Amino acid sequence: MSRINYYFKIWLKLTKASFLSVLSQRLGFFIFFFGKIFRFGFLYLFIIFLLKGTKNLAGYSLDETLFFFLTFYFIDTFAQCLFREVYRFRPQVVSGSFDLILSKPFSALFKSLATGADVIDFAFLPVIVFSLITVGLRLHPSLGEAALWFVLATNGFLIATAFHIFVLGLGILTLEIDHTIMIYRDITSLGKFPIDIYKQPLKGILLFVLPVGVMFSIPAKGLIGILNVQTVIVSLLLGFVFMFLSLRFWKYSLKHYTSASS
Amino acid sequence: MKKYLTLFKLSFQQELAYPINFVMWRIRNVIQIFLIFFLWDTVFSDPNKIAFGYDKAKILTYVFGLVVVRPIVLSAKSFEIAGEISRGELSNYLLKPLSYFKFWFTRDIASKVLNILFAFFEITVLYLILRPPFFFQIQPIYLLAFVMSLVFAIVLYSLLIFLFSMFTFWNLEQAWGFAFLLLLFTDFLGGGIIPLDVLSAPIQKVINVLPFPYLLFMPLQIYLGKLSFAQTGVSLVTSGVWILILFIVVNLVWKKGIKTYKAEGK
Repeated sequence: MSRINYYFKIWLKLTKASFLSVLSQRLGFFIFFFGKIFRFGFLYLFIIFLLKGTKNLAGYSLDETLFFFLTFYFIDTFAQCLFREVYRFRPQVVSGSFDLILSKPFSALFKSLATGADVIDFAFLPVIVFSLITVGLRLHPSLGEAALWFVLATNGFLIATAFHIFVLGLGILTLEIDHTIMIYRDITSLGKFPIDIYKQPLKGILLFVLPVGVMFSIPAKGLIGILNVQTVIVSLLLGFVFMFLSLRFWKYSLKHYTSASS
Repeated sequence: MKKYLTLFKLSFQQELAYPINFVMWRIRNVIQIFLIFFLWDTVFSDPNKIAFGYDKAKILTYVFGLVVVRPIVLSAKSFEIAGEISRGELSNYLLKPLSYFKFWFTRDIASKVLNILFAFFEITVLYLILRPPFFFQIQPIYLLAFVMSLVFAIVLYSLLIFLFSMFTFWNLEQAWGFAFLLLLFTDFLGGGIIPLDVLSAPIQKVINVLPFPYLLFMPLQIYLGKLSFAQTGVSLVTSGVWILILFIVVNLVWKKGIKTYKAEGK
């Protein structure tokens, strides 16, 4: 317990510093906050106009399609908010300043992953949560379905965490790629709409290899009430396997860190 | 002219200096296309369906058209201008016997050429994988207007980058912020994510007053023959007027900006 307290205190301190750093540039905060609201609002409006014209998307109604979209936005933004430090990781490896993190008396993974929370995403989250609850309630879920959404969304967040750890590991192993985190963002953006719009083999890849479907579509299906027990079990299992593999990969990467630039 | 030609060659080589990065950048573009393609493929699962003025062939041609038009119009290295202003590196260029804007425009063209080459390779691969129905424009007048609209779009986009980058003169810390806004407006108000005619008529009217739809959306509308001859003319003239306005504004802002420039960071 004292170890959790220790890490929580570190997280709180570094998060406060990260928030203050962004808030000291007010214009920057407003530009990016406006940008996020604009992008979200535009896509939300697009789905409304699209579904008004076509009545359904892959068999899903307007509210259901919106719920898929909002579930994506919620998990994605929450992960971005907590794991913003990943975006700043590669320069630290390139410059050699990662050595300083390794010498600190706490986990290098924790420092590189979760200590630079993003205040802009933090300010944006209430907008998404409000929309999610409003649209979710219109689907009249039972308490069990709402609970299932929560469990599967947590599982989706776990997979997002695993993806971020993979990106960190890759950042150590290869210095040649500086788009890795953006490629992750591009791949996960395929989960903005129900996974059912994709055809095989892409659909299979997005369910089991790069489990974007498990991260975003499965939780939404849980709330709508169209999941069977097997899918839930396989999804949770995938979350566990991904997390396990990502941690192994991180350890493997650390062993191959050469500290070449320092 | 010779120095810009040399610069073009150097820029081309520089683009290829980090091949993995470049390939990754192209892969990102392909992934983005998958989402839009399958979305519209699902919407038009009935091959006879017509929605928002598109049939299946036209909407999927719009999506594939983006693969070609995006690198032609949007590939640009001049986004680095803002960073150079904020880091004080602009001073290096002011001392050289070349035009700063022509320098970056040349680098932009080199970037476009390389990206177009890759785009044609990608579109072939995507076509073989996805086998979409295509709409081929055969009317020479529309093809000519399409090419003209692309040339206008290239100039328009460069002017927009110059303008947004120069806001950095007054806000050194926000170099990336202004670029982020421009990229956002280009993607969403330019038709880079969705065809703008899906939106309601009043929203389209407002967006059409801005310069952004003339970057991607209007050229593709012209190619698809969705505009009448008169509308095509109006679209080209509006694009030309925006170029003129932005040219004047960019020059004015540059003159004012350069007076406030202190080469901070150097």
